[in-house]
Amino acid sequence: MSLLSALPLLVAAVAMSTSLLLGRTAPRGWLVATLVGVAAALLAAAIVLMGGADWEWRSSFLLGGEPLHLRLDSLSAFFLVLLGVVGGAGSVYAREYWSDTAHPRSARTGRFWWSLMLFSLGFVLLASNGLHFLIAWELFTLSAYFLITLNRQCSAVQAAGWLYIGASHAATLALFAFFTLLAVHVGSWDLGPMQEHTELAPLFWLGLFGFGLKAGLFPLHIWLPSAHANAPSHVSAMLSGVTLKLGIYGLMRFSGWLPLPDGAGWVVAVLGVTSAVLGVAFALGQHDLKRLLAYHSVENIGIILIGLGFALVAVQQGNPVWGRLALAGALLHVWNHGLFKALLFFGAGSVLHATGTRMMSQLGGLWRAMPWTAGLFALGAVAISGLPPLNGFVSEWLVYLGLFDATLAHGPAAWLAISSAIFLGITGALALACFAKVCGVVFLGAPRSPAAAHAHESGPQMRSAMLVLGVACVAIGLAPVIFWPAVVRAMDVWNPVWVGAETPVALSALGLFHVALALVALTLAGWLWRRVQRSGLIRAVTWDCAYALPTARMQYTAGSFAGIITEWFAWILRPERYQQLPETCFPATAHHAEHTPETVLEKIVKPAAALVMRVSAWARSLQHGRLQAYLLYLLIGVAALALFVLLGGSP
Amino acid sequence: MSGILNLVIGLAMGLNLIALGSSRLPTLIRAVSVQGVLLGVMPVLMESERLDWRVLLVALATIAGKGLLIPSLLRRAMRAANIEREVEPFIGFVPSLLLGAVGTIAAVALARALPLLPEHVGMLLVPGSLASLLTGFILLIGRVKAISQVCGYLILENGIFLFGLLLIHSTPLLVESGILLDVTVGVFIIGIIVDRIQRAFDSLDTRKLTALHE
Repeated sequence: MSLLSALPLLVAAVAMSTSLLLGRTAPRGWLVATLVGVAAALLAAAIVLMGGADWEWRSSFLLGGEPLHLRLDSLSAFFLVLLGVVGGAGSVYAREYWSDTAHPRSARTGRFWWSLMLFSLGFVLLASNGLHFLIAWELFTLSAYFLITLNRQCSAVQAAGWLYIGASHAATLALFAFFTLLAVHVGSWDLGPMQEHTELAPLFWLGLFGFGLKAGLFPLHIWLPSAHANAPSHVSAMLSGVTLKLGIYGLMRFSGWLPLPDGAGWVVAVLGVTSAVLGVAFALGQHDLKRLLAYHSVENIGIILIGLGFALVAVQQGNPVWGRLALAGALLHVWNHGLFKALLFFGAGSVLHATGTRMMSQLGGLWRAMPWTAGLFALGAVAISGLPPLNGFVSEWLVYLGLFDATLAHGPAAWLAISSAIFLGITGALALACFAKVCGVVFLGAPRSPAAAHAHESGPQMRSAMLVLGVACVAIGLAPVIFWPAVVRAMDVWNPVWVGAETPVALSALGLFHVALALVALTLAGWLWRRVQRSGLIRAVTWDCAYALPTARMQYTAGSFAGIITEWFAWILRPERYQQLPETCFPATAHHAEHTPETVLEKIVKPAAALVMRVSAWARSLQHGRLQAYLLYLLIGVAALALFVLLGGSP
Repeated sequence: MSGILNLVIGLAMGLNLIALGSSRLPTLIRAVSVQGVLLGVMPVLMESERLDWRVLLVALATIAGKGLLIPSLLRRAMRAANIEREVEPFIGFVPSLLLGAVGTIAAVALARALPLLPEHVGMLLVPGSLASLLTGFILLIGRVKAISQVCGYLILENGIFLFGLLLIHSTPLLVESGILLDVTVGVFIIGIIVDRIQRAFDSLDTRKLTALHE
């Protein structure tokens, strides 16, 4: 046990408890306490990641009848860093975004639940006892529910909250089974490496369901779009940036500790590919800015799962090097997606804060009114599209390297690897198209509504939170070598056989290339700006090509921009179209509306749920309060038993 | 001796059918009270060789309880609640009678299938008890008014009493008397409840009690 990281963790625990108490009464004190707690947690994680010893603490203090056992190894420290950065930025952002003046009642409770969520998320990462893991897991699920429904007067928010809590409880149920079976087989709730219990391998599937539902992989993502879209934006950022990653953390943690069943890696990789491609396809069909971002979370979770899946395949095939690269890509993408997705949700929150709408058909031309938001959102968009020189490219590139090496190795995984690489390429291209659509429709062009025309830039706190995340994205993009040791240490915990992975030469080269690219881009931009300044700038109406009366409605809409691509995926998106085509030579009215529903939810889960409800309603009519009928049930039951005994059943 | 006993049990089974077929509450209560008296006589008939003061006590208590006390409590409840004397069936009288007849036949058939002690084989005790149980159930299920349900419950209890007579040699009579006391108290309480239901709902129709469910 190292004292070095124990002290910051103690400070973090005390500070977070203080912020829990201060949340309702003293907003400033709350912010300070939260930031101190976050900084201390970051320090502890950094100490572990930079080569300090793992921190482990067994206390005699009993919680729920089990002695408290905490452990901070480099894998949990890796996720703790993400929690700290996004949690800290979110706390600052929330002070302005969900301020006491705008939301007098819910701001106070929001601070409380926010602190509780940060605390319980940290506890999940540190818990090394199955029971405590479950307690913390449930606690963060519940606090996230109360955060999602902060604005609970709105019926869409209520529905999203219900769906979230229902889905989360399905996941928790699977995890209950997972941890209980684990405890029964091992004989203790204590968690740790248990590769020698080979009979535990089938538990992986339970974990995949429970953690996968929380991570939002494709067929299990049904709760995710509505929850992320309807939550306040700082909560969406936290949900998408960190809590989805907790699902990934669970998968990584227990796929590293427990033995694996045959085919685990293949299934995870295929699920990853499905999530990536379909996630981005669904995103393209959305008209709600935050819902679109939520589907991109599904896509990015898919990319992470591709990396993890190939790492699992590698473990089962004798640990070739490409598995390490894929896992490194997955781990780094955990950080990267957390950072740029939180940045994007903060940006979307700023837009929502300024205009009061999330519908892209109401926005447009915000670039002039909100240059900071627009710029930082664009930065996040470049990063999430996986373009150099930002961080998204680094992690996706590592995954690509793993896939290419797996293909070149001509092993049994070659075919899966090459097809995954192709689908990953398609995903990247579609993500780029999607963010071109978002940036173009929201920030460029002319305002489509008065609300968009009267938008204003967000304040310093919201801007600084976005700036921090933007800087982090740039830092990982330009100097990936600095962060490589942390990734390697996390990988060592996952699979100790892989100890001592040296820095791939290509990674430092990539860093240099990124710096050069960034310098070239900046120089070009500066040169262009000077030219524009020198030659004088003329502002004209966009789309002013011979139209006598151009209006904002003549612009490309979000739907028309993505129309061709959503048509390719119509087999799964099932878009609902309502249109009246222009018919005569001088048509008076014509309209076209398109809406992409959550197909898995609407076409599979809802009909199944309706069937269950019908059966239940029928069964419920047996319970009507008539004494006579109850007696009849009793008589029938007794008669059935008597018949059973008489017809030769054993008495 | 078993001839007389069988005759008495046969009479009790006949009373079951009368209880099922009667359309007026007083008739129903009278059938139950007569059945109670018959049941009270039975232990004396069974133990006529070696009469014990305890057997006599049980017989007297049963006759007093089932035959006099409980019916009079029921009559008083009926008067106090001032209810109509109609039975109001849920299952009609003819179907009830048919069910009762089928139940009696089934009881006889079932009793053949049961492994009995040799001294009980020739007796109607087991079929009689099963038939009474079924009759009690039919009354409980098929009648609307609370008082007729109490009668059904009493007949059901009579069936249990009949079955208990099989074990009269080994069952301590104290248990028998305990059961009797329970039933009396139960009827007493139900009498009070009936009165309350009447005051609260202006009716003794138990269907109206469903408004209280959940």
